[in-house]
Amino acid sequence: MRTSWLRAAALAAAAALALPLATATPALAYEPVEIVHTEQVQVGPYPVTVGFSEWPLRALHSLDFTFMPEGGIADRSGTVELMPDADPSSGETEPLSRHPRKREVWGLDVYALDDPGPWTLRFSVDGPLGRGEGVLPRLSVLEQPGPPMALSWSMSVIPMIMGVLFLVVVWRRSRPGDRIGTAFAT
Amino acid sequence: MDRLSPGRNTTAQAAARADRAGIAASTTILIGTMLSLVGMSWDIQWHGDVGPDTFFTLPHLFIYAGSAIAGITSLAMVLRTTAAAKAGRSVALTAGGQAVGVFGKTFSAPLGYLVTGVAVAVFLTAGLWDQIWHTTYGFDVTIASPPHVALLLSITFTMMGAVITCAAAGRTAWGRRGFQLAVLMFVFFVLVPLLALKQFEGAVNAFHAGIAFCTALALVTAAYFLRTGREVVAIGLIAVGVQALLWWFSPWATAEYANSVGLPLREFREPSPDVPAMLPMALLPMTAGLTALLAAGRSRGWSPARVAPLAGAAVGLVVAVTMPVQLAVVGQEPLQQLGKTALTALLGVGLGALAGHLGVRFAVMLRALEATPAATAPIPATTGGH
Repeated sequence: MRTSWLRAAALAAAAALALPLATATPALAYEPVEIVHTEQVQVGPYPVTVGFSEWPLRALHSLDFTFMPEGGIADRSGTVELMPDADPSSGETEPLSRHPRKREVWGLDVYALDDPGPWTLRFSVDGPLGRGEGVLPRLSVLEQPGPPMALSWSMSVIPMIMGVLFLVVVWRRSRPGDRIGTAFAT
Repeated sequence: MDRLSPGRNTTAQAAARADRAGIAASTTILIGTMLSLVGMSWDIQWHGDVGPDTFFTLPHLFIYAGSAIAGITSLAMVLRTTAAAKAGRSVALTAGGQAVGVFGKTFSAPLGYLVTGVAVAVFLTAGLWDQIWHTTYGFDVTIASPPHVALLLSITFTMMGAVITCAAAGRTAWGRRGFQLAVLMFVFFVLVPLLALKQFEGAVNAFHAGIAFCTALALVTAAYFLRTGREVVAIGLIAVGVQALLWWFSPWATAEYANSVGLPLREFREPSPDVPAMLPMALLPMTAGLTALLAAGRSRGWSPARVAPLAGAAVGLVVAVTMPVQLAVVGQEPLQQLGKTALTALLGVGLGALAGHLGVRFAVMLRALEATPAATAPIPATTGGH
C-alpha cells in the first residue's frame, strides 16, 4: 500500500519535472533584435545610427540599444557613456562591443536607464579616420511603468519577514538562552 | 546474533525504515539545494558571458528543478508523517525533526520539511510575481530585481530547511555530513540575494557587511552544533572543493551551452567567474580559527554565551577585511579604499558579534531537535508488515 503510494508520488514528481523539459524546445529561440526607433549622432568623422528596441523609453524598462557606424564596425572601437542629466557623475561607461543577437553592429542587450528625465549618450570612436567624439543629447526617459519601487521592495522582503517571524516563534517557545549552559554537554 | 522478539523486531524494522526514508529525503533535498547553487552560478555566468535570455534555459531549469525536487520531497515526507499520524502509528523521525500540526492538525509536518516546503511554495509565488515583473519591465537587467530577491530569499530559506532537516539527524554520521553540506550551501548561496545590498553602497560596503553577518551566523551555529572541531574544519575543506568546482564549471558550462545553441561569447567578459569569485575564500582558515577559539574557551571554562559573540566578531572582521582584497586579486573590482574597508570592518565586527550571539542560540535550538535513533518509538505489530 505504502509502496504504491510512494511510487505514485515519485511518478508525479518525475512528470512535474519532465513537463517543462518536454515543452522547452519551442521556447529556446532567442528573440531577434527589432529596432523600432533610430536617432543619428555625428561622432567626429563617423556618422552613427543609434537604434532602440523600445520607444518611448521608460525608466527601468529593459531594451536593446544598437550603435551602427557608417561603414561598419570591423576596424573601429570605442565607448559609450550613458548619463542622466540630473546627475552626470552617476553615468556608466560601456565599451562598444558586438550585440550578442545582432552581431554585425555594436549594442547593449537588455539594458535599462534607471531614472526618468533627460539623458545624454556620449560616444567616443577610434577608427581609420582617427578619433571622434559626439553626444546624443536630451534623450527623454518617461516615468517607470510599474508600481513605486518601495512597494515592490516591500513585497520582496515578505519571505524574509516570514522567516524572521518563524524564528521568533521558535525562539520564544524554546528559550535557547536559558539552555546554553547545558545544551553542549554531549 | 540474538533472535529478536516480534515486538523488538518491529521496532528495529521501523527504525531502519525511518532511517532509510530520512536519508533518502535529506539527500534529495540536499541535491535540490546543490542544483539551485550550481544553476544560479551558471545563470549569472551566462548573463555575463553570453547574454540572451529565455525562461527555458538550462541554468534556469537547474534552479527551478532544485526547488521542485526539494519541495516535492518535503511534501512527500509531510504526507507520509500525516498518514502515519492519522493511522495512529508513531513515526520514527531521524531527519526532519519533531512534527508540528499545520492547519489545526490537518497535517503533521516535521519542522525541517515544513520550512523547506513553505519556502518552495513561496518560491513558486515569487515566480509568478517575477513573470508579472518581466511583463512590466522586460527581461531582467540585474539579478537584484525585487522579485528576484524574493525568489533568492525563498531558496535561501529552503537551504535553512535543509540545515534543520539534517540537524535533526545530528546524532547520526549521515545527518552530520548532510548538516555540513547544508550549512555550506547556505553560506555560499546567501551571497546572491545579498547582492541587493549593493544599492546601499556609501561610506561602508553594505554587501560585505551582509556577508560578514550571514557567514558568522552560519559558522558559529555550525561550530556549536557539531561536536568535534574536525567536523567544523571539514566545512571549510568542502568549501574549497565546491568553490573550485564552480570556478571550473560555471564558465565551462556557459561556453559549452552557448556553443550548443549557436550563440557567441561576449567580446568583453569578466576575468574570473562571477559567483565563484565572490564566495569567501577565507572559510577554511575561519573554520580552523573558530575551532581553536572554541577549544580554548572550553579548556578555560568560558561560557559559550561569552565566546560566541567573540567568535562571530572575529569571522565578521575577517570577512570584511579579506573580501575587498579577494575581489581585487581575482579582477572583479578595483581595490576598495582603506577607509571604507576600515569602516566596513567595524560594522562587520558588530554584526558578527550579533550573529555569534544568535548563532550559539540557534545551535541550542538545533540540538533540541536531534532525535536519538535508539529511542525510536515502536510501531504496533498490526502495521508492521508491508
